[in-house]
Amino acid sequence: MDKSKRQFLGKMASVSVGAALIPVVQVYAQDNPQSGNAGSSSQTYNASEGQVGKRYGMVIDLRRCVGCQACTVACTIENQPPLGQFRTTVQQYEVSQQDEASSPAFLMLPRLCNHCENPPCIPVCPTGATFQRKDGIVVVNNEWCVGCGYCVHACPYDARFINHDTNTADKCTFCAHRLDVGLLPACVETCVGEARVIGDLNDPNSQISQLLAANSSDIKVLKPDANTAPRVFYIGMSSAFEDRISGQAPVRTLLTDTGEEIHHGH
Amino acid sequence: MDKSKRRFIKGAAVTGGVGLFAAGYSHTLTQIGKGVVNGTSGKPTHDPLHGNSLTPEYKVDLKTGQLISNDEQRVVNTMCLGCWTKCGVRARIDQKTDKIIRISGNPYHPLSAREHIDFDTPIKAAFVGLSAFQEQGLQGRSTACARGNAMLEQLDSPHRVTQCLKRVGKRGSGQWQSISFEQLLNETVEGGDLFGEGHVEGLRAIRDVSTPLDANNPEYGPKANQLLVSNASDEGRDALIKRFTFNSFGTRNFANHGAYCGFTYRAGAGALLDDLKKYAHLKPDWDNSEFLLFIGTSPQQSGNPFKRQARQLANARVNNTNFSYVVVSPMLPNTSNQPCAGNNTWLPIRPATDSALAMGMLRWIIEQQRYAVNFLTAPNVEAAKAAGYRGFSNASYLIVSDPTLPRFGQYLFASDLGLPFEGKAYGEQDSPLVIDEASGAVTLASMSQKAKLAVIHSVDTPKGIIAVKSSFQLLSDAALGFSMAEYAKECDISEAKIIDLADKFTSHGTKAAVISHGGTMSANGFYSAWAIMMLNAMIGNINLKGGALASGGSFPAFGKGPRYNLQEFDGMLEPKGVFLSRSKFPYEKTSEYRRKVEAGQSPYPSKEPWYPISSPLLGEHLTAAVHGYPYTLKAWINHMGNPVYGQAGLGEAIGEQLKDPKVLPLFISIDSFINETSALSDYIVPDTLTYESWGWTSAWQGTMTKVVTGRWPIVEPRVAKTATGDVVCMESFLSQVAIKLALPGFGEDAITAADGSLHPLTRAADYSLYGAANVAYLGTAVADINAEDMYLSGVSRIQAELNTRLKPEEVKKVSYLFARGGRFENMRNARDEAGNPSKVWPKPMMLWNPEVGSRRNSLTGEFMSGCPRLYQPALADGTPLDKAFDKSQWPLLISSYKSHTMSSMSIGSDRLRQVHPNNPVRLNEKTAARFGISTGDTVKISTPNGSVIALVECVAGVQADCIAIEHGYGHKELGARDTVIDDISIAANPLIRVGINMNDLNLFDPSRNGRYPLVDWASGASARQGLPAKIEKIA
Repeated sequence: MDKSKRQFLGKMASVSVGAALIPVVQVYAQDNPQSGNAGSSSQTYNASEGQVGKRYGMVIDLRRCVGCQACTVACTIENQPPLGQFRTTVQQYEVSQQDEASSPAFLMLPRLCNHCENPPCIPVCPTGATFQRKDGIVVVNNEWCVGCGYCVHACPYDARFINHDTNTADKCTFCAHRLDVGLLPACVETCVGEARVIGDLNDPNSQISQLLAANSSDIKVLKPDANTAPRVFYIGMSSAFEDRISGQAPVRTLLTDTGEEIHHGH
Repeated sequence: MDKSKRRFIKGAAVTGGVGLFAAGYSHTLTQIGKGVVNGTSGKPTHDPLHGNSLTPEYKVDLKTGQLISNDEQRVVNTMCLGCWTKCGVRARIDQKTDKIIRISGNPYHPLSAREHIDFDTPIKAAFVGLSAFQEQGLQGRSTACARGNAMLEQLDSPHRVTQCLKRVGKRGSGQWQSISFEQLLNETVEGGDLFGEGHVEGLRAIRDVSTPLDANNPEYGPKANQLLVSNASDEGRDALIKRFTFNSFGTRNFANHGAYCGFTYRAGAGALLDDLKKYAHLKPDWDNSEFLLFIGTSPQQSGNPFKRQARQLANARVNNTNFSYVVVSPMLPNTSNQPCAGNNTWLPIRPATDSALAMGMLRWIIEQQRYAVNFLTAPNVEAAKAAGYRGFSNASYLIVSDPTLPRFGQYLFASDLGLPFEGKAYGEQDSPLVIDEASGAVTLASMSQKAKLAVIHSVDTPKGIIAVKSSFQLLSDAALGFSMAEYAKECDISEAKIIDLADKFTSHGTKAAVISHGGTMSANGFYSAWAIMMLNAMIGNINLKGGALASGGSFPAFGKGPRYNLQEFDGMLEPKGVFLSRSKFPYEKTSEYRRKVEAGQSPYPSKEPWYPISSPLLGEHLTAAVHGYPYTLKAWINHMGNPVYGQAGLGEAIGEQLKDPKVLPLFISIDSFINETSALSDYIVPDTLTYESWGWTSAWQGTMTKVVTGRWPIVEPRVAKTATGDVVCMESFLSQVAIKLALPGFGEDAITAADGSLHPLTRAADYSLYGAANVAYLGTAVADINAEDMYLSGVSRIQAELNTRLKPEEVKKVSYLFARGGRFENMRNARDEAGNPSKVWPKPMMLWNPEVGSRRNSLTGEFMSGCPRLYQPALADGTPLDKAFDKSQWPLLISSYKSHTMSSMSIGSDRLRQVHPNNPVRLNEKTAARFGISTGDTVKISTPNGSVIALVECVAGVQADCIAIEHGYGHKELGARDTVIDDISIAANPLIRVGINMNDLNLFDPSRNGRYPLVDWASGASARQGLPAKIEKIA
């Protein structure tokens, strides 16, 4: 794998060399929630339509997740939600077995919007501000969103929140602004364990399709019974976690070493 | 296959996770965060669908792979300093604001990419290789960790020091005035009544390299030794500090943070690898091993290089065949991976008892003869090679074993027997001896193909009969000194489990390895680490595919160099005398020892312990200076170091004395933030951050190829300028001090080029620029940068600076280096055709180390063991901790662990801290129940000399006797309190104060004369694991 990567990259380099350097111009005209911009270049996709013909999804290989939180931090810097609000998180579960002789173990569980095939957040939106692009990415038009919070409650995955600064619904977009210009989402780019893989589910040769095929007996989604048809898949997740993603809450109160309370937890 | 199906989840507790603030708390954070970071502002979003997400740095056409740059941003490769792994990163910078907007990994850099790209890859191809084009970026990703992503916030932090500061009022008052660089320089060099508190000697008066500082103890060296210079560690600028300290100013006293980082491990590994100078260590061959054992380290959570080894371990879990690992720790570490349960196991252990486990394993391996006999019986590298190994050991070497002989603990040498040898007797070319297996004769180690392993023998020599044992025999004696039951009881791991672990470890041939690290920072740490690392010698895994690997090496910038000689100069001094920390110098050579012997007294104990096998120890430097033994300090220049926060008990032990100008007359800090240590200083010189400064440094370990990381000002430095327009920082301060004092090695003609021409060393950038030219020309010179690389890499910005000192042909090559963030050997050079590492450790694995075994404990007068053996955690005089501190009063043991997110210097980042804002202590749920404590309770944790208030999480994943504390929290400075500069108050951020610092749980060694924090008696490294403690619920 390593050697082929280098050879492959070498080949690609020869393709790109000599290409003109053209500055990016980003203009997004907006008439209705689903009218994105039509870019001048062939590679600039209409932000509302998305990449027609593709169906984006993500595989998270829990065998590889190291729980480092690089994705969480990269996402918050890339997408600039208010402090304390997250489009993606990695929760860490201490898992004990029934058999007391065995040691407990850690499960790191990255979570984000599942970009469901049957997203329950969309039908409840009174303004049509939230919708699904043709490539499966669920987005929110901030100019149409009234911040009613129906979608936040409708999502069985707690993947949405009302952004405290904009007072609109906020969520993971798979970094559509990056995908649409040929780049990878922030969380994928910086995933230390290479656990997060994004790609086109419609393309049987994509890495995500190959990973799903190769691990077909070990693919799970969160809350399969919610009939949402999530498009974020997990490798290596115990079925016990499919519906049990809250766990015992960690300590949230913030105290100094003299006992001064800086914040009381909820 | 779903392995986890076999497991039933009894309870699932969320620990240290995020998503904690979905309700309520976030508002508070937002208010505090506003104006601190580039957060949203309550205004409509920049883009209807993409919200406030950043504008992409470039586009890559998914059909053609064409790269289209974004002229509003630049993407540059440089170095991270979120922790001491020092990864190569790529930063996106907004051209208009000159702010760093995001950071990820440098694809050329082996610490950030699993398989770094070839060094000659064009920048454009490197960028495309990170993109979604043909999904190249998934395989080619180069990452930053959570900290690495977040550290950009430091650049414009309101808590940064950007001007020269002089204290107002007493030390530690938190009140400062800003002064010019020139005033600071003048006052620190010339001294005077600087604070209205009386005369202070300046650096000029202190710098006397000819008068002994103590006529009664001339070995202490000259008066110049009363300047201490410390550097947190080598972040790429260490060479200049050492040049100033050792070779220009001429003081012996220099130290870094090793003594309170992981020095026990380095010393133990160094003892094994016959390297008590640089303390080499080993890393596993992650990609090919079958079984790995981690004792006192959690490679998926911290350590060095954290990110690289975490990624390699993750990869090994999925891709290696027949792979499993065990991680031994008092607390469940992040290295545990439940989805691969069965192939990885956490083995809980009582804090500070790792040596009992390792010695138990050694005992079983020796008794059951599970060691690699053909490795251990090979007395030289050729013999080992013939037996299929790529390194050798001294297992068969004969050691003088009669303690009444002056050479006890040393090798029996050819010269002892009158056999022919080269050079001096007992010199480097005198040969150790073995008993040859075939002939049964005492033979030169280099002449035997196979030697006897277990030897107890008396050798008839011209000097008389000398009793000897082989190294292996001595190790065997030590391992058999305790029963399996005793080892099991000590470490709270059953005999069956110890045997099972030893069995597993020795069941994979050479495709196994064991490593350790900071978990051994205990009062028996050196011997614990050595015992752990000794297990590698039992299987002969060194330098082998799947085994234990040496460092990949570097391209040294600051040596004699192909372009500029940065190591030598006219008039350079060699420092003389005894380190304050009494390191690397045997007590038996002191005047104190001689006087006692001459007076007919027992020379033992010395007044305070000496550390003959150790590097300089910053903590012991400081306690020595405060107590005046061996001598006092007159000035301390501290670059970035924070021992007051970082060493267990040090702040409480001597913090008040450090504030006293009578104890420490002059204290200058050089730092970009005011930390717990620099808060006590008289002056602070603002320093450049990694994003603003020049430097060359390497990977500590864990790469198989040569690495040198180049850092350069990727943004305009935020610090003040000197009167001549140079950047105020560490380099400009030390250079200008040297020039003002007319010290050799600095000034107009300080540097000699290869062509004999002389060059100036006067400006902040100079030394590093000459170093860059050396890196570029080492071996085969690197290519010249081309126009496209220049355009895409952001190095066009620094051309003027490069041109000030370098020749035009050098500038083109140095630009090529900076464009790639350093110089990196290609990945294909890592291994030979058989897959074995190209770089090998050449020296023997030492079952007995004569440098250790011939030295004595300077308090008890007893010989130090020359091989690993079980020592309980103990005071300096050997009293075990559990005897010194009654278990009924102190029933628990503190153990600390490195955070996966927070380093000692990262708490100021809001985007990082929000993910993991606190460090509640973890307690075993059954132990907690015994004390009536539940999750969320407020408790008081006390050690014999300190206490803190903390919140508790009660979990299954902690050993029953352990209180587990995560590092990185409980700060008193770095923005935790208000700071006043020129009567303007910079408001504290209370979130920086959250949590506890384990190092405030003090333990002073009652066997010493004064307030000395507990250290490992053998190495002098800080003891922070296994401190006796108690816990009480208070709310």
